[in-house]
Amino acid sequence: MPPVAHLVKKETLLLLRDRNALVLLFVMPAIFILIMSLALQNRFAAENGVKLKYYLVNQDAGPVNAQLLDSLRKLEGFSAIRPSSPPATLENHLADGDTRFLLVVPKGFGSALMSAQPESLRISISADVTPQTARLFTASLRATLGRLYLRQLAKRSGRSAASAPDFDLVNRLIDVQSTYTPRGHNQFPSSVQQNVPAWLLFAMFFIAIPLSTTWVQERDQGTYARLRGMGVGAPTMLAGKLFPYVVLNLLQVALMLLVGVYVVPWVGGEQLTTGSAWGALALVSAAASFAAVSYALLVANLVTTGEQATIFTGVANLLMAALGGIMVPRFVMPAAMQAVSHYSPMAWGLDGFLDVFLRGGGVGMVVDSVWRLGIFGALCLLATGAWMTYRRGRAGG
Amino acid sequence: MIQVDALRFRYRGAQTDAIDALSLDIKTGSLFGLLGPNGSGKTTLISLLSGLLTAQSGQIRINDRPMPEERRAIQMDMALVPQEYAFYPRLSVIENLRFFAGAQNVGAPLRRNRIAEAVAATGLGGFEKKRAQHLSGGLKRRLNLAIGLLNAPRVLFLDEPTVGIDPQSRHFILEAIKRINADGTTIIYTSHYMEEVEALCDEIAILDQGRVIARGDLQALLGHEQGGPLTIGLSPGRTASDLQPRLGDIPDARISDSEISLPKCPQAQLYALLDRLAQADIGITRIRYGYSDLEDLFLRMTGHQLRD
Repeated sequence: MPPVAHLVKKETLLLLRDRNALVLLFVMPAIFILIMSLALQNRFAAENGVKLKYYLVNQDAGPVNAQLLDSLRKLEGFSAIRPSSPPATLENHLADGDTRFLLVVPKGFGSALMSAQPESLRISISADVTPQTARLFTASLRATLGRLYLRQLAKRSGRSAASAPDFDLVNRLIDVQSTYTPRGHNQFPSSVQQNVPAWLLFAMFFIAIPLSTTWVQERDQGTYARLRGMGVGAPTMLAGKLFPYVVLNLLQVALMLLVGVYVVPWVGGEQLTTGSAWGALALVSAAASFAAVSYALLVANLVTTGEQATIFTGVANLLMAALGGIMVPRFVMPAAMQAVSHYSPMAWGLDGFLDVFLRGGGVGMVVDSVWRLGIFGALCLLATGAWMTYRRGRAGG
Repeated sequence: MIQVDALRFRYRGAQTDAIDALSLDIKTGSLFGLLGPNGSGKTTLISLLSGLLTAQSGQIRINDRPMPEERRAIQMDMALVPQEYAFYPRLSVIENLRFFAGAQNVGAPLRRNRIAEAVAATGLGGFEKKRAQHLSGGLKRRLNLAIGLLNAPRVLFLDEPTVGIDPQSRHFILEAIKRINADGTTIIYTSHYMEEVEALCDEIAILDQGRVIARGDLQALLGHEQGGPLTIGLSPGRTASDLQPRLGDIPDARISDSEISLPKCPQAQLYALLDRLAQADIGITRIRYGYSDLEDLFLRMTGHQLRD
């Protein structure tokens, strides 16, 4: 067995015996994937019947009011609660439970709808509601009121029911489709389909923390110096770390995909569809692992303490993730940020995974991502080797 | 043979040289002690000799091979036992030994023998399956030493190999070191435990601020052969003026009412002086001859304590 095989075996044994590191490397990313996939879902909520609740206080009566209440009952994505408390009390308790909106229909709203001075609906929104959700609620109400107004206008103009305007025509004039076509069907990708590859990649780069911590420990304990004193060269030492950690990283990928396929649906989310481009998936995973572990080796050699490794990796990974479209899709970034994002390894990895998971791409489609990740990994390794040689050669390294 | 000539090394960013024009010869098969206080340059010198650091100037030759030009070949023939527990705590004793033997490319059949020899030499038998992290301090030191024996080195560097262990374990390790040396291995031993160096080493060098301030045979350094300082306490009742006519012809002698002292006194002169004092019927209360120990020697040479 060559020396490098002994280093690989040693590293594997050390990893298997470090339960805390294993928890960090496997359980944490799995939980991470699970939570982020569910927490950042968008279509997931609407498609699974989850509705945002709002208090509805009706102080009006009459036929117009009845039509309004009927429309509000059908309001998509929202569900009305009819409390007995007065509006002022409800307003004070908006943020207490899971209800964030209060809608008050004032007395005389229906009768004054077509008058010169109509009554307004009063809406209160909890301060912790995001502007997007608030706009969604108010836009839904405006659409409902628009329909109600037009219906009353048509009635006042004396048209018959048969020739009544088609108020839903606007809904049929748009046809929204997605390019995501798993199993040949056109449908919108779920948040799981988009989030799992993104957060999986994010977790992969966190391999730098345990790897660099171990390396720093070896330096502090003197085992590193001992091995160098035994004539074990930088390439052998790097290879001895690279192989077991790449395998570990790939096991992480497999585990996180399994979480997406089996665990996420089990807790109420949508199942991850992996597709059948296994070759492409394996290639992207291997390239991303190689890049992540090589980057980790570089970090491990540049830092001098475990604390530095943890802080540097945390901040650098967040930056790479922010630039790489893990947190915010790159297409919504400003042009300058988009240009910079092309240099984030996480962006290359994400492109590769999305090619497989969303675009149905095969090996040919992921070659560009794989090539970039491979070059990045090789450059990191070269820089690490050069730094190790320089540090040995420089006085006092 | 280890030959060091005008070696100079300065750590990056440091204001002074850690090793300053240091020259040294260490004979093959010797048990050579490197003594000095913390920061004197002992570990740096060992790192340079074992190829972990590269000097800015000067020459090192080990068994007629130049370092660093033939670093790999030299390292095959030497071993460094650092003062840290330089092994993997989560691996067992035998796993550590197998790993370090494998990392040095010791072939499988030979590896088994070498491991068995190292275990026997360091008394680790019965602890092979125990995780290193669960060993006592003394056993950890033994494992540290055992790893250094796996390539059957001709030159063995031991950097403070007994730090932080109980007297029994220290005794065991010192005996093991003697046996290893007796088998022909050249040992370079650094410590700031003077009594260990006195007990073990046949030759020593004392380092201070990166320089050798004294070197040679231990007895000679202590002044017991070539002549060290002498102080003889005299019985009361005499005055310096009484003594001056009888002893005034001794060169460099300082005479007072209570003692006579010489900065350097060969053994023959000591015996002659004792004869003269007896003939003159001058009583002696005490004699201090040479340096009492290395600590004393170091103190007189540098003005500060060895363990500073």
